This record gives sequence, C-alpha cells and structure tokens, in this order.
Amino acid sequence: MSELPLVFLGGLLGSAHCLGMCGGFAVMIGAPARSLRQNLARQIVYSVGRIFTYSVLGGALGYAGLRLADRLSGLINMQAALALVAGALLVAVGLVSAGLVPRKVIAASSQWLPWNRHAAHLGGAVTPGCLATGMLGTFLRAPGWGHVFLAGMLTGFLPCGLVYAFLALATSGGSPAAGMATMAAFGLGTVPLMVLTGGAAALVTPALRVRMLKVAAWCVVLTGIVSIARGVNAWELGPREAPPACPLCAENATAQEAVAP
Amino acid sequence: MNNSPAKEAAATCTYCHLPLGTVTVDTSAPAYCCLGCRLAAEVTGQSGQQGAAQWALARLGLAIFLSLNVMMFTMALWTQDLYDARGSGSGELAASLADLFRYLCLVLSLPVLFLLGGPLFESALAAGRKDVAAADLLILAGVIASYVYSAISVVRGAGHVYFEVGCAVLVMVTLGRWLEATGKLRTTAALEALEKLLPAQVRIVDATGTETLLPTGQLCVGHLLRVLPGERVATDGMLVRGRALIDQQVLTGESRPTAKSPGDELLGGTLNLDGDLLIEVRVPPAASSLAKVVELVRAARNSRGRYQRLADRVARAFLPAVVLIALTAFAYHWQRTGIDEGVLAGLAVLLIACPCALGLATPMAVWAALGAASRAGVLVRNGEALERLATIRAVRFDKTGTLTTGAPTIAVCAVANPNERSEVLSRARRLANGSTHIFSQSIVDYAGDGGLLTNSRRWPDPVVCTAPGRGVLAQFANDEAPTRLGSVRWLGEVGLKMPSAMGKVVAAAMERGDSVSALGWNGQVRGVFVFAESLRPGAGEALGDCAALGCDVAVLTGDHRARAAAIERDLGVSVVGELLPQDKVTALRAARDLHGPVAMVGDGINDAPALAASDLGIALGCGADVSRESAAICLATNDLALVPWTIALSRQTVRIVRQNLFWAFAYNTLGIALAAAGWLNPAWAAAAMVVSSSLVITNSLRLSGQLATPGQDDSESSMTSSASPVGEIEARADLDEALPHAVEAQLS
Repeated sequence: MSELPLVFLGGLLGSAHCLGMCGGFAVMIGAPARSLRQNLARQIVYSVGRIFTYSVLGGALGYAGLRLADRLSGLINMQAALALVAGALLVAVGLVSAGLVPRKVIAASSQWLPWNRHAAHLGGAVTPGCLATGMLGTFLRAPGWGHVFLAGMLTGFLPCGLVYAFLALATSGGSPAAGMATMAAFGLGTVPLMVLTGGAAALVTPALRVRMLKVAAWCVVLTGIVSIARGVNAWELGPREAPPACPLCAENATAQEAVAP
Repeated sequence: MNNSPAKEAAATCTYCHLPLGTVTVDTSAPAYCCLGCRLAAEVTGQSGQQGAAQWALARLGLAIFLSLNVMMFTMALWTQDLYDARGSGSGELAASLADLFRYLCLVLSLPVLFLLGGPLFESALAAGRKDVAAADLLILAGVIASYVYSAISVVRGAGHVYFEVGCAVLVMVTLGRWLEATGKLRTTAALEALEKLLPAQVRIVDATGTETLLPTGQLCVGHLLRVLPGERVATDGMLVRGRALIDQQVLTGESRPTAKSPGDELLGGTLNLDGDLLIEVRVPPAASSLAKVVELVRAARNSRGRYQRLADRVARAFLPAVVLIALTAFAYHWQRTGIDEGVLAGLAVLLIACPCALGLATPMAVWAALGAASRAGVLVRNGEALERLATIRAVRFDKTGTLTTGAPTIAVCAVANPNERSEVLSRARRLANGSTHIFSQSIVDYAGDGGLLTNSRRWPDPVVCTAPGRGVLAQFANDEAPTRLGSVRWLGEVGLKMPSAMGKVVAAAMERGDSVSALGWNGQVRGVFVFAESLRPGAGEALGDCAALGCDVAVLTGDHRARAAAIERDLGVSVVGELLPQDKVTALRAARDLHGPVAMVGDGINDAPALAASDLGIALGCGADVSRESAAICLATNDLALVPWTIALSRQTVRIVRQNLFWAFAYNTLGIALAAAGWLNPAWAAAAMVVSSSLVITNSLRLSGQLATPGQDDSESSMTSSASPVGEIEARADLDEALPHAVEAQLS
C-alpha cells in the first residue's frame, strides 16, 4: 500500500473539489453549535461519519475486487486491469476539475445521460431529481451527536466523482482491508478542509478556493498516474499463474492452484 | 361505493395526500397509504411530538449504521474461503476470529430487526389492503426466519449465517417506502400549495364594528369579512367598502391586477394588494372558486383512466399470485436444498415483486401530469381526459372569442372633414364612455384621452342616453340636435346624411363582413369606425404548434365566407365559414371520420354543442368558472399556447405511463422468475426493488418538473409562485406598473 500517503494527500487536496457540495453541509452542521469548540467537535463527528461510510464502501469494493480477481485471475490480470481503470478514472476526474477538459466535451458526454437528453429536448432544467435529499436535510438540521454522525454517514453515500475515483482505486487494492484503508486515508485527507470550512467559513475565500481547486485537481491526476504506473507494472509482470487450457476449468484451477501473493 | 363526496375527498393519505384507494377510513385519525408515508410523516413531525420525530429518524439512521457494520463483518467472513484456499493464516486463529465475527453479526443485527421490523409490522396491521398487509407480513416472516436460522448456526458454530440479508432487506424496504412517499408527496405539491393559499383565520366584523378572529372553516354566508393589504380573500363575496387592486392570477392567470370597487365581486384565493376591504361573504369557503379548482383537480386524481384500470386489474391478481409463488418457491427449495435456501428464495420473490412498481406506474405519472397542468392553469377533469387527449389526431378551433379576442379593434376611422378629426374622436369617446357595448370599449381605447381634458373645460360631461339596439346619443352644449353614435342604418333613419366618400368605406367594410359604427351631428355623418376582430397574440403559433404535433388543424366559424377567407390568409390554416352550430357538429363528425379523434377548442359559451360533440372539449378563459361542463379540459387563461402544450403533456404522460408499465411488467416477470429459481439473493432483490420504484417515480416526476410551460415566465409560475412569499413580492412589484391604470380609472 505504497500510495496510502498519496491517497491521503489526494483526499486532503482533493477535498477542495468537494467544498461546493459538502462545504454547504459542513456549514449547516456547524450552524446549531453555540461555541467554536462545540462546532469543531460537531465537524469532527460529522467527518467520522463520512469516513465510516467511505471505509465501508472501500471495504465492499475491495471485497468485490478480490472476488473479481479471484474469478478471473486465470483469464486476465485483474489487479492490474483494475488499477489501470482506477488510474484512468482519477486522471479524468482530475483533468475535468482542473478545467483542462473543454466544457463542450463535458456537455456532449453528459448528453448521453438519459435525463439530460430528455431535459435538453424539452428545454427544461437539468435535475436528476434526488428523492433522498429530504432525508439528509432532516439529519443535517437535527441537533444531537448521534444525528451529526448519521448525517456524516449519509453524506458519504452522496454521488461524487472524486469518491468514485478513489473507490475504483479501492477496488484494485486486492482485499477488503486494503480497500478500507484506501478509503479511510482518503476520508482522513478530506477532514482538515471540511472542518475548516464548517468551523470558519470566512477563512476560505473564493480566490483561495479556486487556487486550492487547481492544486487538488493535479494531485488527483498524480494519484491516477501512480495507479496507472502500478497497473502497467503489474501487467508486465504478467498473470502469476499460467492460464489454464480451458476457461470452463478456470474456477477449479484457481481454487486449487492459487498461491499467496 | 356510495360515499359522500366529502368522505371520499377525506380518504387520502395524511402525508402524501394521495387517494387511499378503496379503503374507507375514519377521517379523524391520520391515515397513511404506506409505511414510507407513516415514517416520513413521523420524521417531519407532521403528526406527533418533536421527540417522536427524532426517534423515528434516529431509528432509521441507527439501523443503517448497524447494517453497514454487519456487512463489513460478513464480508470478512466471506473472504475466509479464499484465504483458506490459499492456505494462509493459522487455521485456529482464523476460525476463532470467524466465530467472533459471527457473534458480532448476531449482536449487531438483532437491534435492526426491532428498529425497522417493528414499524413494518405495525404498518402491515394498519394497512387498508389485506393483500399488501399479507405480503408485508410475509416479508417480515422471511426476515425473522433468516434471523432464527442464522442465530442457530452461530450457536451451533456451523452452517450459514444470513444476518446481512435480513438487515439489507429491512433497510432497503424502509428506504424504498420512504422514497416512494417522498415521490408521491412531490406529485401533490402543486395542489397542496394551492390549497394553502387560503388563510387559516379570517377577521370578522359584526354589526357593532367589533372584529373577531374566526377559523376560515366557520365562515358563513352573510358574514362581513375584513381583508387587509397583502392578505388573500378567504372566499367569494361582494366588496362592500374600500377599493383595491386585486391579483387574480391564481384563478384567471391574468398577471395584471384588477381594480375593484364597492359592488364588485371578489373571488376566494385572490390577493388583496393595497386596500383595506370589507367583504360580504356570498358562499362558504368550501364552495369558493379556489376550493372548486382544488376539488376539481382532486376529483380528477381520484378518477381512474384506462391504463390505471388495467394496472389495477393486474395488481388485484398480482399480489395473491406473488404470495403463492413465494410460498411455492419456499416449499420447493426447502425440499430440495434446505430450509435456509427455501426462506431466501421465498423472500426474494416477495421483495422483487412488492411493493410493485406496477402499482405506482400509472398513478404516479398521471398525478404528476395533473399537478403540472394545474400549475400551468390547465384543469383536466380526469385522468381519462388526459389519456384521451394523447390520442387526438385533429384539432378544431372556434373562431370568435377563441382565436380572436372578444373585443374588436378599430381598423379604419374615416372622417368627413380632416380638420374635424379630433372633434370626432373626442365626441365619440364621450358617447362611448356612457355605453357598455363591446364596440364602445374599442372606441374608447382607440380615441384615447387625447383632447378630452382640454375639451372638458369647454363642455361639461353630457348625459348619454342609450337607444337599445341602435346606439347612444347625447346633447352637447352648443348643438341644436343630439350627437349620435351607432349603426349606419340608425343614423340614416334619423336623417343624418352620409358623404359619398364615407359611403364607399362603409360599403367596402360591409363587403368584407366587418362591422361599422358611425358618428354624426348637425345633419351629417361626421365619422365612421370600421371594426376588425383582432387575433389573439400567439394564435398563429399555437395553431402551427398543434399542426407540428401531427394534428390536423382547422378553424370553424359562423362568419361570412369572405371573412373566413381573410382569416385563412392570416393564420395559414383552413377556415370553414358560414357554419351554423349544428353544421359545426357535422364538420366535427367529418373530421373524425377522416383523421381520427377530434378535439374542439372553444370558449365554452356559444360553442357548447360543438365542445360536447367532439371527442374532447377544451374551453378557454374559464378563469374561476371551472365547472363548465361541456369541456373536459379548461384553460384558466386565454393563452392559446397552452393547447399544444397540453397535448404535448398528455402524450408525454401516456408515453411515460407506457414506459413505466413496460418496465414494471418486464422487471417483475424476470425478477420473479429469477427469484423463484433461487438465483437471486434477497438483499439484491431488495436493492433492485428500491431501484425499480425509484426509476418509476423519477420517470414520472419528469412530468411535474421538466416540461417547460409556454408563455411568459409569470404565467409559467402563476400558481406556484403566488404561493410563496416571493410570489407575493412579485405581485407587489406588478403594482407599480398597474398604478397608472388605477389612477386613470379613478379619474374617469
């Protein structure tokens, strides 16, 4: 897990990316607090909730990656392929948020999403209506530590390109534990900025935010490149096992012949 | 079903306000259509105390948290076989760790059963429909069975555990129902916003002048109601004292406020912008104009269209069939592999099928469309009318009052002596001012107030007399004979001479079928006004849009053939002239034979027979008078663009209903087959259920949000925006614009 520090850094700097959406939540979480101390405590509990969800998701995808690798290891080098996919995804997310992908391309590709296509056709607003927002809002406004934690937990499930990119990385980690570690590192990385935003929104000026966003984007790209490099490296080493003669026997073969890495 | 209307109206879910179906309920207690609504209502604190709301919320969150933990431990258990196969790890340690994890799963997942299973059980007991209740109870039974089986496995230290399945099923079922409730609430949001416009309390003034506050419901006919600026009128009544600008947008769609003075009628739900008003109540609030609109939409929602009846019929057979298949799958897999597999297969069948997307497919789409329509000022009498509108292949428009504005404009104003022009206009205006004939209004508008103020110093206002059916006359100060404004024939009869140049103008106008009025004094006709009907703004575009939707478009009119030809040139669609009312009916029949179902668009007053004879009548400018029986669809405004918009909406609705139904049928058939075969884990089935009903709901909600309403922005948001404080501010901003008109009205 050589890239855990890098993942942490990716989260740390990448979280500037999330201030748009989650920054608002952090501010809401801080709203009922009576003192700065209480606010900070609320922010941290909120972040712990998020990290919990990230870790669970990372663990689940790590498990999925493990299963996938186990099933298909006889056919292709799954670990390497997943690392390549994750790397590509991270690079793409990074480039998009760095503003290097022309808006036209983004618009054109988002045309393929069914609701967007429909909306464009009718000239209406583009809103992939989320039915769950009401629930999250209720948690965000509720007082009490338990609710703050639960709000964080639900926030972790919100759709976010950055989270998905790191989840792809978690999938390539090879075990639930590695996946959990990856996502926990990512989540920890997002804590400082979120706490800062929620605790002292005024400190993060729009100009600073734009600059951080740029740095964050490149950091995500870097994480992606490292992942790709790892994938290429693993790919060149080749599958650790010789491919069996017949794909139908692959499952048997792997079960019997797989050895510890 | 011989429920009284009031009782039927009350049979709606306390949370999402949608009809509860065939259940008769005690109207005093809150009733919910599903677990989701019960839960969401508890959480939002609409029923019960704050503490209870928080507990319901925490219960769900806690259950999710515990379930996620169970998942993690289960996943760790699942990797065991891989590590075993790889021979890594010391066997004994791994085994004791696995044991620990299994115990942890048991400990963590038990609370989930109580947190979420309890409410599911309660709502199943309270459910109005027995088949739904049975399915819910069976799901619960399946979950409990999987718990018991797993617990035994843990204690024995051997066998599978399925705690994660039980947790996932409970969480997913609860979340799914919640999402459904949220979606349903959204479809009714537009109507509820309308209803909330009426104030909860009203100010009553008694004979001695003392004011008392009264709940709106207790308002009776004859009460004197005081309405302050910025408040809404609670019910229809007559203005007794005070003047004000009234924003009637909610009912008429007209964004410009109307000036009201004592004696005028005020409609319930309209907004008093600037006056302190005293109103005599004429109808109880429950029968006010706004209440009628709300009642109409509600009745439309309760009625069931063709697709809904189809879905109902299938659903009636569906649930019992699902229960049967689930029990069969349970028995079969129990016999074949073991009781755990049996329970899982049966549970998966129940989950994949229930609560079926099938039941939501049609009503969600129709409700959302009805809501969107009512927001745009289109009142659809029932869901069936909406479905029928989608099949329309030809549209026939009435001309007078529909394509043309009711009030004619002056096309030509000819004067005998060019130097006399301002004199002619000034006299015409003064005479016209004293008459209520529609031509008079046009003359007043045309003449404007040019010269009026300067001349009024010379002459005091004359007394205007009406000669019924002929015109108006008044004696001006320095004349020996009265000045007359009226039909050319009347002026001829009283001996006013027509100069030959003006005679030609009159003859040409008669030829075209246009109406003419003449003005004369001192033995001569001095001026001639030729009236032309003006087309409504956007009439041409609306007809073009209808044609673009693939409808055959034509105009039916009783007008002269020459006039019809002129309109045909203006509009670019075929215009059939010289039709008597019964001819219009024949023309509609012919169109039906040629093209298919025909919709007739009219004002619902002089063309009622044609509206009734068409497959679907659309009445324009209904305003508060939504109960025009001849039309299945009423447009509150005169905005013709709403006609193609509504057709497009109805087609989109039917398309979405079909998509939903197709999806629901395909998904259920495939899902049940997979589940019955034992190839579907209940946890996945539960997730698929959430995804499926979310798909159906989101697909339907596209109707309520994303169809851009035609016309200007204010007409688009007329009904909803007025409900919000922003709307009120906007309405007030309109005030500045309207003030000059009010001043003018008071001056005259």
